[in-house]
Amino acid sequence: MIHVTELAKDKIRALMEAEQRPGLALRIAILGRGPGGFRYDLGFVEAEDQARDDTVVDTGAFKIFVDAASMENLKGATLDYVEGVYESGFKIDNPNPLWKDPVAQKVQEVLDTKINPAVASHGGFVALLDVQDGTAYIQLGGGCQGCGMVDVTLKQGIEVVLKEEVPEIREVVDQTDHAGGKNPYYQPSKGGSSPFA
Amino acid sequence: MTETPAPRRVLLVTSTQTYKVGAFLEAARQLGVELIVAAERAPALAWASPHSQLVLPWWDAEAVAQRVLEFARVRPIQAVVATDDESAAAAARAAAVLGLPHHGEAAVGAARDKLRLRETLGAARRPVPWFSAFPVDRDPRAVAREVPFPCVLKPRFLSASRGVIRADDPETFLAAWSRLRRLLERPQVAAAGGDLAHSILVESYLPGGEFALEGLVTRGRLRALALFDKPEPLVGPYFEETLYVTPSRAPRKLRAALWREAQRCVEALGLSHGPIHAELRATPRGVVLLEIAPRSIGGLCSRTLRFERGSVSLEALLLRHALGEDVSRVRRERRAAGVLMVPIPRAGVLREIRGAQEAREVPGIEEVRFTLPLGQHVEPPPEGARYLGFVFARAARPETVEAALRRAWERLEIVVEPARAGSAGQSGLS
Repeated sequence: MIHVTELAKDKIRALMEAEQRPGLALRIAILGRGPGGFRYDLGFVEAEDQARDDTVVDTGAFKIFVDAASMENLKGATLDYVEGVYESGFKIDNPNPLWKDPVAQKVQEVLDTKINPAVASHGGFVALLDVQDGTAYIQLGGGCQGCGMVDVTLKQGIEVVLKEEVPEIREVVDQTDHAGGKNPYYQPSKGGSSPFA
Repeated sequence: MTETPAPRRVLLVTSTQTYKVGAFLEAARQLGVELIVAAERAPALAWASPHSQLVLPWWDAEAVAQRVLEFARVRPIQAVVATDDESAAAAARAAAVLGLPHHGEAAVGAARDKLRLRETLGAARRPVPWFSAFPVDRDPRAVAREVPFPCVLKPRFLSASRGVIRADDPETFLAAWSRLRRLLERPQVAAAGGDLAHSILVESYLPGGEFALEGLVTRGRLRALALFDKPEPLVGPYFEETLYVTPSRAPRKLRAALWREAQRCVEALGLSHGPIHAELRATPRGVVLLEIAPRSIGGLCSRTLRFERGSVSLEALLLRHALGEDVSRVRRERRAAGVLMVPIPRAGVLREIRGAQEAREVPGIEEVRFTLPLGQHVEPPPEGARYLGFVFARAARPETVEAALRRAWERLEIVVEPARAGSAGQSGLS
């Protein structure tokens, strides 16, 4: 189940009213994982956009649709709205671990403690997208996109460190779309407009 | 007991701005060559492979020599390859101190400075346009009285048509001078050019079709690897490169004349060993070499070139040549190939690229690749120096390649949000 705080409900209700389209629902999806944890997508959809495998959460004020894959990692999460000097907007407090697979957990730890601090000093970041059969699928972001030296960082940096620190990893595959700043590996599975962006 | 053969090690001298390193890394992997990437700054995670990377401040020849010698004492280097104009002088220096075959420092210096290039070629009785360099702080109205029209204003050291502007009369000359001066005063441009940024080269404009010749020099002898047509007219006022198609459809006699002139200019400059990329014009008075760079074709354009029925990349060929292998029998594949360097429509923030999938679906198109991320500040020539991306095509005939590239181009829509007033010239690309 996903919980929604009263403040978040009020904000969402106000945004829905501004849309002037009765019967809207909120769709929450996990797009992937980034340096700060899960990456979420929130958007309004029509009621008929509900898919067969969606989990539907009725908050009393509106309905939330969550696809099956995202729901796996959203159980017990709370959708809140925060307003402060340094941070304001919707926030999801998610108790689920970023990865359940132990190899992926190890890779994530190496990214968090060794790789990303170094890459961040060059304005970039590395996100783990998945680990399958000894292959780590990663995405490079920030200053890495369009950088001429990204192949050196990948081949002589990330790949070397990951293989050394996590012997189960035999290959590292860059899934970044360096072309357009988009990630082709994970695509949002459902459509919808987002006033939250 | 068998001994492990010593690894073949190549020093790749590069700037961090080039897109070529990935292709060289892949070529080295295929050839079993250890590639030492030497750039002006350490890449992120340099500590992970300290023996595969070297920081070379290519603007400081003595520091380059010292660091290369120190490195090679521990890990001997068998060959040196440069990727781009900025790093070519450092590569020549590194090869010189290591005693390895490479274009010499003087030749690389002459090729890089467009004024010295003209002087050297003129002294060797090669055809050159009328040319003269003027201090950038001189009164352009006085300069305009000394130059022929139409003429072309150029920075002495920038590449990719950056800063090159045609002027047809004193009025357009003043505007071009002012624009070029502002470019040369940008801090990063001024720093990259050093003394060369203090003057502007003015040449008479040469009409005629333009060609690019990709070649490999061995002991001073030029071998043409590919001759590219540039089917999009380059008549100014700016000279943005767009279409390259090979093999050339020029008559055999002209192709021979283009190669012959490139060979003579290679000799005149003393370029001795390694790749060259030359730009030539077929003017009504004969072939004239506009520029020659002691490195391979720029950007990702080398993807158009495959050798030995497509199994060997240009980078693999260059590594093998640098390591002393005889590659004189290696031939380019028979298929025609070409590239569209996707132009930037105007200065501003790159917001969206539409039609990429539609462009990919054009028959003959092999790849559509954008190299600048969304959200980046972009600017076209004459100020800009980078392309938005590259579209590659292959087909049996060059005209089919050109048609495919043009159709793909038509399908692309580049959305650039205009730069706000006052933000021009603040590009991160400068």
